[in-house]
Parts: sequence; structure tokens; C-alpha cells
Amino acid sequence: MYKVGIDLGSSYTKGVLLDENYNILEYHFVKTGFDFNKASQKIITKFSEKYEITYPIYTCGYGREQLKVETVANSEITALAKAVYHKYGRACSVIDIGGQDTKYIKVNDAGGVERFKMNRKCAAGTGSFIEEIAFRLDVTATEFNEIAEEASEEIKISSFCTVFAVSEIIGKIKGGTSLPNLVLGIYHSVIDRCFELSLMDDYLIITGGIPDNHPLIVKLFKEKFSNTESPENSQFLAAFGSVLLNKQNLK
Amino acid sequence: MSQEKSGIIKLQSVGLLRQTMGDYFGRLKEAVDTGNKKIAWCTSVGPAELLYSMGFEVYFPENHGAMLGASKKADTYIPSAVSQGYSPDICSYLTSDIGAFLQNETPLQKSGFKSIPKPDILVYNTNQCREVADWFSYYAKHFSAPIIGVNTPLCINALTPNIVKNVAKQFEELVPELEKVSTQKFDIDRFRETIELSRDGCVLWRKVLETARHKPSPINFFDSAIHMGPIVVMRGTEYATDYYKVLLAELNNRVENNISAVPNEKHRIYWDGMPLWYKLSDMAKLFAKHDTSIVASTYCNSWVFDDLDPASPFESSALAYCKLFIVRADEVKENVLEKLVSDFSIEGIIYHESKTCARNSNNLYGLHNRLFKKTNVPFLEIHGDLNDSRCYSEESSIIAIETFVDQLGNGQ
Repeated sequence: MYKVGIDLGSSYTKGVLLDENYNILEYHFVKTGFDFNKASQKIITKFSEKYEITYPIYTCGYGREQLKVETVANSEITALAKAVYHKYGRACSVIDIGGQDTKYIKVNDAGGVERFKMNRKCAAGTGSFIEEIAFRLDVTATEFNEIAEEASEEIKISSFCTVFAVSEIIGKIKGGTSLPNLVLGIYHSVIDRCFELSLMDDYLIITGGIPDNHPLIVKLFKEKFSNTESPENSQFLAAFGSVLLNKQNLK
Repeated sequence: MSQEKSGIIKLQSVGLLRQTMGDYFGRLKEAVDTGNKKIAWCTSVGPAELLYSMGFEVYFPENHGAMLGASKKADTYIPSAVSQGYSPDICSYLTSDIGAFLQNETPLQKSGFKSIPKPDILVYNTNQCREVADWFSYYAKHFSAPIIGVNTPLCINALTPNIVKNVAKQFEELVPELEKVSTQKFDIDRFRETIELSRDGCVLWRKVLETARHKPSPINFFDSAIHMGPIVVMRGTEYATDYYKVLLAELNNRVENNISAVPNEKHRIYWDGMPLWYKLSDMAKLFAKHDTSIVASTYCNSWVFDDLDPASPFESSALAYCKLFIVRADEVKENVLEKLVSDFSIEGIIYHESKTCARNSNNLYGLHNRLFKKTNVPFLEIHGDLNDSRCYSEESSIIAIETFVDQLGNGQ
């Protein structure tokens, strides 16, 4: 019996396929686009090529109620907390950096959500911030990490408005600042915004598409807060948690 | 019992509410059309009783602002005000109201008004914010009408006799100009009457809100935000007291029969901050869907002026209008909220931080964290605005609200 969890985010739709022992066998993600159902269907079709999947599909995220197949919708924050606790088995703080929002979750020692906070309405500190700047600098977001690895010093980017940040960067380029140092500055800007969400008083887990694709960000988090970890494929955790949340209901 | 498709059980009194508010606007229109009475503009927690006692019909621009928000068109009006030099970051009642005026539009046109009623005088109290003075100044200039007001100290901690004396004096100093414009001599006995009517209306309104202590609650925030209309705009008249007697009777009946505003009420929440006027119905359905009732709020509790006393109308007006929650220091606010949280059996608090209304956003200076330490009641902050829907991210707020309610369900 193969179960599927899907996290329908505003930027990407992430799916996991689990066996009867809740081991993750497959991961797949697609760009969400404007049709949540279509994006999810691509994932379901992909998994169905090799496995006979069972319904309902366990969903979370913005588009969690948009599928045209049988689903059980879940809160993505609760799902993420569940998955993190499943992996680490302890109370911790979670920062999830997604495409359009950043979340702080305090997971208690029973695996529940003690409190949570989301970023304010602007895109600062989220994947959109990085993607927009990459686009304007004409580099791919995935090249960002390699570029930042070559930095020799951190440059402070003070604007948190994406558009103003680009103007600031152009000013610094004119002043002779290197691109690697600027990109490192962008990463620090994202991290600083994350630390505004809450005081971190214990163990910090970083999740989401951003840490998965920009591993240097996790390293920089550790420099600021040593008890930091980021599991592999963390952007799939919420999808995984959606299935785990319904474990007691599953035969 | 009428039940909407969403499952919310509608109050029967809403029909009488419509009539009461309709009659209020009818009286205003008569004053506009015939000049039978002078028209005073007043701020929502301004000296309505004094104005009614001097024979004015009283118009409240903030009530109009809320109508603009509820019409979902406020964000089409705000840019007009911004083009005149007002920041989009200031009070969106102000910017949408002035913007609508510049575009010569008003929801009042559906009631036969050509435009908002021209003021003969504008009267403000800065107890709630400074913006009302700026707002009224715009119209005073435009209509060449006199503008007078009371300037109340901000963030009052201890409400000392000196503060009350100072503000009471300012109330008294409004009288000469009011006499000039109304062409009526100030009558202290008439003022005592309106003060008594206002107090009676406020006591009834308080009792209306207190029915929500019952589990399940017969009324929720999305009802109260509408049913508070009379206590805001008809405070000091028999129209408000008459209406609330009827509403209270209906709510008491609901309490006796365990009829709840939200069927299957499982969670009880406190709402701090302004309503999102453009999302009232959607939010009512969202919370009902999750068996959650917003049973108390700072906003609706704000029109309770128990201290009004016909024996000392000026002094008690000063006391009542300074004692108001929005005027007070955080220390006082925390104590008030702590009591409300206990009285109404609150499981969770939602702080709505309005982009353009810092005075009604009580999470800005850490109050939410301090209150959590005292009460251990979990809270959620959502970011939006009272009227400017462009400031509200609906999808992420829905996720946040649903997660918060989920948390309450898990007893965390």
C-alpha cells in the first residue's frame, strides 16, 4: 500500500511516496504554475508509473483543497512540525524558508506546534527575494551558491525590499564590490530576516526549498547559531508530515 | 431560526438594526435637504452627547469609512487621496473617505444622498488618534466650516483628577462655538438627558457583549461589529437604547435555549485590533467552518462608557472618554485584556495588526508577549488593514488562522 503526501506550495508542488512502514521511497516536485490540480496530477502520474498508490492523497499548502481526487487536507505548519519531530524526536525551533513565505515553528516535546510565526507581508527573507535578485543579475538561482562560495568578505545589504536591494547591489557593483561578496550579503540578509521571527533558544532545524538548494545558507545559520541542522530533502518534509498526521486513521 | 449556507445562525434583530440605521440616515438626509437641523461631524468616541443635546444631527465619518471598507471599494479610493499628498501608510478610513469624496462617490448615494452631508461644524477628540484632526481639517477647509476639538493626552497610565479636569475644561470650551453654529443656547438639563441616554445605551451594549460569556456564545465578533452601529452613531439618543433592548432580549433568549452564533462552538477566541471590513463575511465563514467563535474583542468593547453620569456631565464625559482602552498605556491595557480573557473563557487571542492603524494594533510594543507570560493563552498575529485590502495577504492569513485553531484543538 503506497501512500502519497503532497505539499502544494505557491511556487513548487512537492510530493513523497511512502511504503506501509512510512519510509519515503520517492520524491518528486514540479513548478506549481497556476493550476494546483494539474501540478499535483503530474506528481501522482509520476508515482503511478511504478507504484499502485492508494487514496486519499494527504495534502497541505496553499492548494491543499484544490485536487479533483480524494484528499485529506492538513495544516502545513502542523504537518511540518510532525515530520521534523518524527526525524529528530525532540523539541526544537524550525525555520522553513519557502518560495513566498518564511515560517518559524516552535515544536514542543510531544511533536506539536507550541507557537508559530510567519514573515510579514513582503518577500524579504524568502525564496522570491533570492530568485528576483538572481534574475536581475542574470545568474540562475542555482548558480548563486557556487558564486557565494567564492566570497572573500560579507557585504551588508541593508534594504529588505527586493527592488531596493537590487538598486543597492547595482550601486555596490559600480563601487567595485565583487559579485560573490554581494551574493553572500544576500544570503546574510535572508538569515537576518529569519532571526527576526523569534529568539532561538534551543535546537534549530532549517527546512524548505531554499536551504535544500543553497546549502551555504545552512552553514551561515550555523555560524550564527551553532545548534543548527538541516535534513536532506527538507522541502519535502511538510508533504511527509501530511501523511504522518493521519497515521492513526490509516489501516 | 435563519441559518446561512455557511452554518452561521443569523440574528433576527438584524432587520430592526437595518431600520434603525436607515432611520438615522433618513434624519440626516432630512437635515441636508431641508436644513431643519444643523449637521455636526463627530469622531467615533467624540462628544456625541453634547452635540445631540444642542440639537445637531450628527454624522460620523468613521462610520462612513467602515461602509467604504465593507463595500470593498476602499482601495480604489485611496489612490486619489494619495495623489493629494496623503501617505498610503496612514489611516485608511481617512484616505478612502477623502478619496471617495474626490471621486464624488459614497455608499450613501444608495440612500438618496448626493454626497456626504455637508458639515456646519466639525468636532473631534484626539483620544483615539491624531489622524481624526487631520481628517476633519481637510473637510473644514473644503467646506469652510469651523472645526473644534478636545486634545486628550496619549497613553494614559494613572487617570489622575488633573487629567480629567483638564479634559473636562476642554469639553466645556466647545460650547460657545457650538452655540454660535447651532443658534441654540446650551441647556445643561438637556445635556444631562443625553448623557443619561448614552450611559443607558452603553450599559445595554455592555450587557449585549456580556452574553458572550455564555458557553456557547449567542453572538460573535462578526455580528457585534455590525450591531454596534447604533451605540457609535446614536449614542445619547433613545434610538440606541430602544434598539439594544430588543437585541439583548433576543440574545438572552438564545442563552436560555443554548443557541449559539457558531453552531457546534468548540473554540473561543478574542480578537484584538480592527475588523477587516472587506472580509467580514468571509472571515465569519472561515471561523464557523472551524467551529470557532470570536466571543470578545477590543473593538466592540470600546463603546462602553459606564462612567457617564448625568449629575456631572462634563466631568464624567472627560472621565469616560479618557478611560477608554485606546487612550491607555500598555500596562493598563494588559490588565483589561487579562480580565476579558478570563471572563470570556478565551482559549486564543488573534492580534490583527492594521498597516494603517497603529493605535489599534496592540502587538506593536510587545504587549502580546507580556500578556502571554501572564495568561499562557496562545496568540496569533495577522497582518492586514481595516480598509486597505491591498495590505492583506489572504492565503497566508488563512493558513495561519487554520493552523492556530488546529493548535487550540490539540490543547496547545
